[in-house]
Amino acid sequence: MGTKKENIKTKTLGWLSIPAFVLLFLLFLIPLCLTLSNAVYSAEGGFSFSSLFSTFTSPYTLHVLGFTLYQALLSTLASVLVGLPGAYILANYNFTGKRLVKAVSTVPFVLPSILVVLGFVIFYGNNGILNRFLMKLFNLSNPPLHILYSFKAIILAHAFFNFPIIMNLVSTYWEHMDYHCEQAAQTLGADSWRTFWNITFPRLLPSILSACTLVFLFCYNSFAIIMVLGGGPQFTTMEVEIYRRARVSMDNQAAATISIMSLLVTCLLLVLYTHLQKASVQREQFTSGNIKSKKTVQGFWSKFLIFLYSIVCALFVLGPLTSVIVRSFMASSSRSGALQFSLKWYRQLFGLVKGTGNMGSALSALQHSMAIALLVALISIPTSLTLATALKRKGFWSSALELLGMLPMAVSSVVIGLGYYLISSRIHSSGYIMVVLAHLIIAIPFALRSVVPEYRKIPPNYLQAAHTLGADELRIFLTIEAPLLKNSLLTGAMFAFALSLGELNATLTLSNSNIVTLPVIMYQLIGSYNYQGACALGTILIVISVTVFLLSEYLKGKENG
Amino acid sequence: MNKHHFVCVVLALVFACASISAQPSQEVKPETREITVYAYDAFCGDWGPGPSIVPEFEKKTGIKVNLVSAGDAGQMLTKAESEKAAPIADVVIGISNEMAGKAYESDLFASYASPMLTDIPSFLHFDEQNRLLPFDYGNFAFVYDTEKIKDDMIPHSLADLTLPKYKNKVILIDPRTSSVGLGLLLWTIEVYGEDNYLSWWKSMKDNALTIAEGWSSAYGLFTEGEAPIVLSYTTSPVYHVTYENTTRYQTLLFDEGHDTTVEAVALMKSSKHPELAKQFIDFILSDAQLKIALSNSMYPANSKTELPAAFQYAPKTEKNLTLDAKTIEKNLDRWLTEWEQVMSK
Repeated sequence: MGTKKENIKTKTLGWLSIPAFVLLFLLFLIPLCLTLSNAVYSAEGGFSFSSLFSTFTSPYTLHVLGFTLYQALLSTLASVLVGLPGAYILANYNFTGKRLVKAVSTVPFVLPSILVVLGFVIFYGNNGILNRFLMKLFNLSNPPLHILYSFKAIILAHAFFNFPIIMNLVSTYWEHMDYHCEQAAQTLGADSWRTFWNITFPRLLPSILSACTLVFLFCYNSFAIIMVLGGGPQFTTMEVEIYRRARVSMDNQAAATISIMSLLVTCLLLVLYTHLQKASVQREQFTSGNIKSKKTVQGFWSKFLIFLYSIVCALFVLGPLTSVIVRSFMASSSRSGALQFSLKWYRQLFGLVKGTGNMGSALSALQHSMAIALLVALISIPTSLTLATALKRKGFWSSALELLGMLPMAVSSVVIGLGYYLISSRIHSSGYIMVVLAHLIIAIPFALRSVVPEYRKIPPNYLQAAHTLGADELRIFLTIEAPLLKNSLLTGAMFAFALSLGELNATLTLSNSNIVTLPVIMYQLIGSYNYQGACALGTILIVISVTVFLLSEYLKGKENG
Repeated sequence: MNKHHFVCVVLALVFACASISAQPSQEVKPETREITVYAYDAFCGDWGPGPSIVPEFEKKTGIKVNLVSAGDAGQMLTKAESEKAAPIADVVIGISNEMAGKAYESDLFASYASPMLTDIPSFLHFDEQNRLLPFDYGNFAFVYDTEKIKDDMIPHSLADLTLPKYKNKVILIDPRTSSVGLGLLLWTIEVYGEDNYLSWWKSMKDNALTIAEGWSSAYGLFTEGEAPIVLSYTTSPVYHVTYENTTRYQTLLFDEGHDTTVEAVALMKSSKHPELAKQFIDFILSDAQLKIALSNSMYPANSKTELPAAFQYAPKTEKNLTLDAKTIEKNLDRWLTEWEQVMSK
């Protein structure tokens, strides 16, 4: 009887996820395999593993791999050091502006990296705001801070991108942790430090490790930041090697071989990540009751420490972001004149004045981007929901499928780009539809990340109760599971929206440059020396992202009562 | 139940759209006066010369042009090669001299001695068979900020740049990830020869502020004032003059000469309308020259083209250096590996 029921369940819900898997398969797996299969086919068409073998044993590629792992490890550690205190504060204290903090800290993640690099340079550079301020303050003739163009700049920039991930993921988990054990420990006489170290920390560990794996993955695939801010080729990553082989040497075989090597590492990380994430979800069930009540900040020292931490973080994150915003309100009024306040770029952007050069297409780019992002967000809801139905169950297949769903996050953008190119050249289509679908593939892992853990948290007794009352699987799915997941689906969709809005690499590789989106125009503007205009577009992107993330924080808040 | 239907409808729509747009759009009809032209993306984009010159040609000749955006220059060649069994293109635009070796090897292109070639200086010409016809060219050069580098500080050669006084004043670009960066690598080989170019890079390694991954970031650092000298093109100041009305940024002309990149247009052997295709090539080499030069920010190949005044800030070099296409193709990967080894120490 039991087995029969299981079968029915698999059938109905499995059927639901088929379209989404077909989509993943067509748009992601096929191009990926097309690219990677080059590794075992030589130019003459022969099949051999010799290229694979020689790459895997070459001291040079091993050295590059070593460095890539090393910088990712250090960057992850730095992100944890900066992010954990923030997670503690967000999880344990109530203060005004908490949602804004969370929303703003997520923004760097969806900005095109070229804009982040620019923001960093404007703020931390030799001629940047920080240095000029210090030079004026202490009357120096040379910039005192040499932050950029060194190894520490890489770590700094990566921490900038990624500490919010640690902060948000760990604090969310921390907030929802059942407080029983801590209460018990304190009743038994443990002081708060001991309680933290012996009880809270071990319970938090899976979530910290799972957030770390995610951060490690992003740093592993980082490219522009390492090269521009790090100072050059002494810091070479796997991504650069893949790029060089594919684009400069036009050696698809070598590119594919290195991609496979790189992919093996990221797959291991993904397996680790999904494993850790499942572990953390399984330990902690849905708790609606005994959540630790939040304190308001009291006492001079805790106030002072929290204040200090917030100031440092704000400077760290807001510095580069504000630089971009401030720059967007500047224009030089005359011949080689100094920059002054001006609304010129916004007037051009919104079509009040005819835009010069690429600014002329800015408004339509904004409209296109909004339309694409909206479509991606809408499609991501049914896609991630149906995928999640197949993923929530335990077992080998669901693990393998989950890996497939997360894979787009781990594959280098160069490899995806090559694959997309192969597909679009075969089917003679490179219109907006392809862009929407490509963005969807990129957004799916993030939407899934928001939905699957919540799905796993739904207590089985809800479903058993529904069964007993005679509901069939489809009805349970539609009337119990889907409504319970409403908010996490919306959160996922909003993340998809923001990601799509800021996506540049895939759009550029895929499009035949008749496609204008906000980041594409931004890229073109930078390419034609108009940084102020690019910053104005960047500001629009920042404002929309903050709004979207604020909304999603608001939804989460509602969900938690 | 509605939700379920909604899911199905949305997914069905997605697939329907995908399959509709997947229908092959080009069908060659032998009776029509129509040619298909492959160009790299930037040529066909809103900011490229394609959208303005194609209608002009169509109006002038009545020949319809189907302009296909075929990826970057490398992908374009790969695409044309992969279609050898069922060729689509009649003309391919945008093969650079660095890729010429690969282009000859593919055996895709026919000879065409266009009458316009007489107006194109001989240093731009490709092989004697004229399988590739030059339509524009540019020189890589260092651009400097006149507010930061006073007249007595101006470098006059690549060798000057390695002097201690330029420490942290130069921004370079990586040849592994950027065509401009690759231009500098070839430039140093042309000036110093295969035996000595690496020693220039060795001494330059510590002098450079950073080696950016692409031209956009490098030029961004430059205009932010991070360093006063950057690798770019001789034509870069034209933008600042035209759009910002400033002559603050100027090109450095070096005594050793400058690497030259030449872009070519080529006639496909497989073309079913060679006469129409030739008309198009002639048009590219004559009437379309100014528009191409302006939007590509290159010099026109045809010496009869009259350039606007701003181009006086894009000084032409005395010596145009190039490497033989075959030499580049044979050695490029080794050069890059050697370079990588020196620079990563």
